[in-house]
Amino acid sequence: MPDILVEGKEVTRRFSQGGSDIYALQPASFEIRAGDRIALLGRSGSGKSTLLHLIAGLDTPTGGLLRWPALGPHDALRPGFVGIVFQAPSLIPTLNVVENIEVPLRIAGNISSPQTRALAALESLGLADITDKVPDELSGGQAQRVALARAIALKPRLILADEPTGQLDQSIARQTVDALLNSLEGSDAALLVATHDPSAARRMKTTWLMDHGRLQLTAMAEST
Amino acid sequence: MIRLWLKGFFAAHFGRLAAAVVGLALPVALLGSLGAFVVASSESMARRAVASLPADWQVLLVPGADAATVIDAIGNAARYENLQSAGYADTEGFSAITGGTTQTTGPGKVLGLETDYRQLFPGQLELNLGSWDGVLIAAQTAANLHVAPGDTVTIRLVGGSPVDVRIAGVVALPNADSMFQAIGVSRNIAPQAPPDNVLLMPMSEWRTVFAQQASARPDTVRTQIHVRLDHAVLPPDPSAAFVQAQRAANNFEARVAGSAALADNLAARLDAVRADSLYARVLFLFLGIPGVILALLVTLAVASSGSERRRREQALLRLRGASLLQLLRLAAIEAAAVAGLGTVIGLLLAVVVALTWWRLQNLGLVMPWLVLVVAVGLGFGIAASLVPAWMDATGTSIAAARAEMDRPVPSLWQRLYLDVVILGAGGVVFWMVARTGYEIVLAPEGIAQTSVHYEAFLAPLCFWIGGGLLWLRLSRWALGRGQGAVAVLLTPLSANLGPIIVASLSRQQRRMARGVALVALAFAFATATAIFNSTYNAQSRVDAELTNGADVTLTGTTSHPASELLTELRAIPGVAAAEPMMHRFAYVGADLQDMFGINPTMIGKLTTISNAYFANHDAGKSLALLAETPDGVLVSQETVDDFQLQPGDRLNLRLQNASDNQYHVVPFKFIGVVREFPTAPKDSFLVANADYIAKQAGSDASEVVLLRTSGDAEAVAADARKLAVKRGGTKVTTLGETQALISSSLTAVDLRGLTALELGFAVLMIAGVTGLVLALGLSERRRSFTILSALGATPRQLGAFLWSEGLIIVVGGAVMGIAVGFGIAYALVTLLSGVFDPPPETLTVPWLYVTVALATALLCGSIAIAGTLTLSKKPDLEALRGG
Repeated sequence: MPDILVEGKEVTRRFSQGGSDIYALQPASFEIRAGDRIALLGRSGSGKSTLLHLIAGLDTPTGGLLRWPALGPHDALRPGFVGIVFQAPSLIPTLNVVENIEVPLRIAGNISSPQTRALAALESLGLADITDKVPDELSGGQAQRVALARAIALKPRLILADEPTGQLDQSIARQTVDALLNSLEGSDAALLVATHDPSAARRMKTTWLMDHGRLQLTAMAEST
Repeated sequence: MIRLWLKGFFAAHFGRLAAAVVGLALPVALLGSLGAFVVASSESMARRAVASLPADWQVLLVPGADAATVIDAIGNAARYENLQSAGYADTEGFSAITGGTTQTTGPGKVLGLETDYRQLFPGQLELNLGSWDGVLIAAQTAANLHVAPGDTVTIRLVGGSPVDVRIAGVVALPNADSMFQAIGVSRNIAPQAPPDNVLLMPMSEWRTVFAQQASARPDTVRTQIHVRLDHAVLPPDPSAAFVQAQRAANNFEARVAGSAALADNLAARLDAVRADSLYARVLFLFLGIPGVILALLVTLAVASSGSERRRREQALLRLRGASLLQLLRLAAIEAAAVAGLGTVIGLLLAVVVALTWWRLQNLGLVMPWLVLVVAVGLGFGIAASLVPAWMDATGTSIAAARAEMDRPVPSLWQRLYLDVVILGAGGVVFWMVARTGYEIVLAPEGIAQTSVHYEAFLAPLCFWIGGGLLWLRLSRWALGRGQGAVAVLLTPLSANLGPIIVASLSRQQRRMARGVALVALAFAFATATAIFNSTYNAQSRVDAELTNGADVTLTGTTSHPASELLTELRAIPGVAAAEPMMHRFAYVGADLQDMFGINPTMIGKLTTISNAYFANHDAGKSLALLAETPDGVLVSQETVDDFQLQPGDRLNLRLQNASDNQYHVVPFKFIGVVREFPTAPKDSFLVANADYIAKQAGSDASEVVLLRTSGDAEAVAADARKLAVKRGGTKVTTLGETQALISSSLTAVDLRGLTALELGFAVLMIAGVTGLVLALGLSERRRSFTILSALGATPRQLGAFLWSEGLIIVVGGAVMGIAVGFGIAYALVTLLSGVFDPPPETLTVPWLYVTVALATALLCGSIAIAGTLTLSKKPDLEALRGG
């Protein structure tokens, strides 16, 4: 059996607003194993981003148990074990493309030649010709692919992508998902993609459904 | 709809709007306060100057003129408070027999005054010894004749029999120059020195004594009418008051042509004050305007720092159908609200400062200035918010922002090296002005308007502008071509993130350079102002020390020398040193001059002996030469010119000898030129060795004792007064009293309030620039820090980004600003040398203030960075969800 990267038992995320509690995530139990390809499908506001942020260690559950058995404690997940692609544009505007990818490599501190590694990641996604551009000069698709390159540059064991194609047109979105899957080919890294696009979801082995904070685990075993 | 939008807008952006309002209120308050200072100081200078004037007009009656007609003419020409006749009679001299010897003086004058003269014209006479009731003798004459109250003096009348009078008191005549001025002579003739020998008699007695002489020689007995005008009718502005005073004088002169002549002391005093008033305005321009410009730049920085937020909001409004006009209308309302609120708060602050700090008595005087300040505040406040909003709305600034991220192309001024050219031009102008000893403020004789040579402003103006551009160039160069060196410097902070941090800062080099330039400007303003003010205050003290002699000074007479108290004075607690100094009189040819006998090796320990006191600009060398030359004498330039003296020449002076009280020739050797000396008069005087004078004059008594205190000078003075009262005939004065009394020059303008305002404001600006601008700049990029945190940056790594930026802005700005501040302070002190008497030899640097300013910058910068760091440690998950 592949390693269990993430294990959640009755994980809950509750927010207080105006004296009442709002459950962004109802008690949910799940596992993510090495090599998993999971689509997290649900409408906007259903709680997909909340779950991703919890799994990435960016947020803390208000109930239940969340562990990363094969990765370590939650404060050692990033950078290194978990790579993230955010929903919003997340490149640093004052750094060019290659420097943006260097950031997590340098933060990790143990990479001998961060620039070479960053260039290799860009090459693998076909972005070698835009290394000197700054984010303002990139198209939306290019920016998301650069963010993807940044997520995979450290060769993480778990990649979390929050609506990576949400702001892209269909053909660009397809190219981006292709790039993501291709980059993980032959790797045992797990991938969890939050999306509300069924076509993107169909390209994953597994689909989780999220609705009003409730998580339903459904194995769909679809392929392109 | 607009009200709803405004309500929501103010609720959501309260902090930023409050910062913008404060940012505008500060320059408005500063501008208003500075303007009020100029008005208040001019008004108070004029008020104090004319208040201390004993007689505004001295009207000389032509022999045979009808006094009643002239008095009528005075009343018709001007409103007066007091008016009294004074008799002036020439004599062939005075003589007295004391100690078995006879002393005789040259020609002298006898004044006849009514008994209430001293009450109606206060300040004209000061009693040193004895009583007011009877004949008074001037202190210098008393010294010449060696007489004291109770002694008899013989007046040798012109063409008449001698008359004996008994001396009741010894008086000083502080306004002798104006009291004995030549009236009715051309202005081109050199001023007439007051007579050395003066007696003052009650008017009734004077009339009796000089009745016969008046008939026989009417040219030697004259009558003056002394007038104190009603000052309440004078305008508060010194220039306007001068014009009014002069017109009244012209009117009077036209009425009495042929029967009287006028000496207009009031116009003469106001003439000097209007020049000082212009100096105050010059100070305002030199010291205040850079501060106001700095404050306005900070306001601009605060206003423009919200551009990202504004662009987002405008995009949202446009998505919902708002037109460009509607966007601009909303921006205009926001701008008007900020400008209105900021201006009102600033105006209130300025009014409070004017009324409480400057003690302005009539707010109406500054009303035109305040109206101007309101216009500037509203105009600038609206423009500062509206222009960036318009640029954002029309997309101009997006293009600019993109351009900023490109490899920056040098601006036109950079390519033309405009900064170097302007600095060079400033240097040349400064050199020309400093070399020629150019007077910035001119008050030409006979012209009603004083003028300021504003072209002298070019040098500091060039230094400010050139310095500002140079800061921008250097900052951009450091973050551009010099980024390798910057990365090395930042290594201890940034570890392996250095290249990324420097690359990021390099792409923000325009913004960074603006930040560095703002901080540098704030430091330059603070440093220049602080150094100028400290030098000014130090010189004000030197000026007072020059007048008073030392911390505490005891002044006696030849018959009651203060040196008799020396042992007791040295025993007073708080006295660090006490030394006697002779103050005698000596004839140089026919001219009687003050002569000071000193111990050259000790005088420097008692009081400041400035290099500027000597023509060779070397006090140490001059005093050492005097110590080496027992018969050496330092004389004034005027005496050197009059007698064609060369160093080493023998100079025969006549000194009074204690054995026979007669003046005898004593040979001296001319060794140098002295320009000023503690307690010495402004005109000619002599400085020699006390030991030599004592030996030649047969008396080692010293009329003056100088005390240096180690503690409270006032307490020492109080103890010294107790001793002096017991013995009588000795006056005790302190440095503090003298400093408060000197009111004839601009150094009398109380700059303490202005200094406190400016220095406080400068620190506030430094705090604002480093704290507020840095915090707002960082908050604009909080999203970047959130991304870094989400990518796994530790607080230390996040801190490396923030501290690197903060250090470059704060330390870079502080170093450049302090350096330029020193240069500007030097230029200011040199250009405004007319303010100082004597001119300062070195700048007085208030290191404590500079340290406080630096600490404030570091503290506020640290608070801004720590705040941003705390906010960024926990990723803003909402910001990562959507655009």
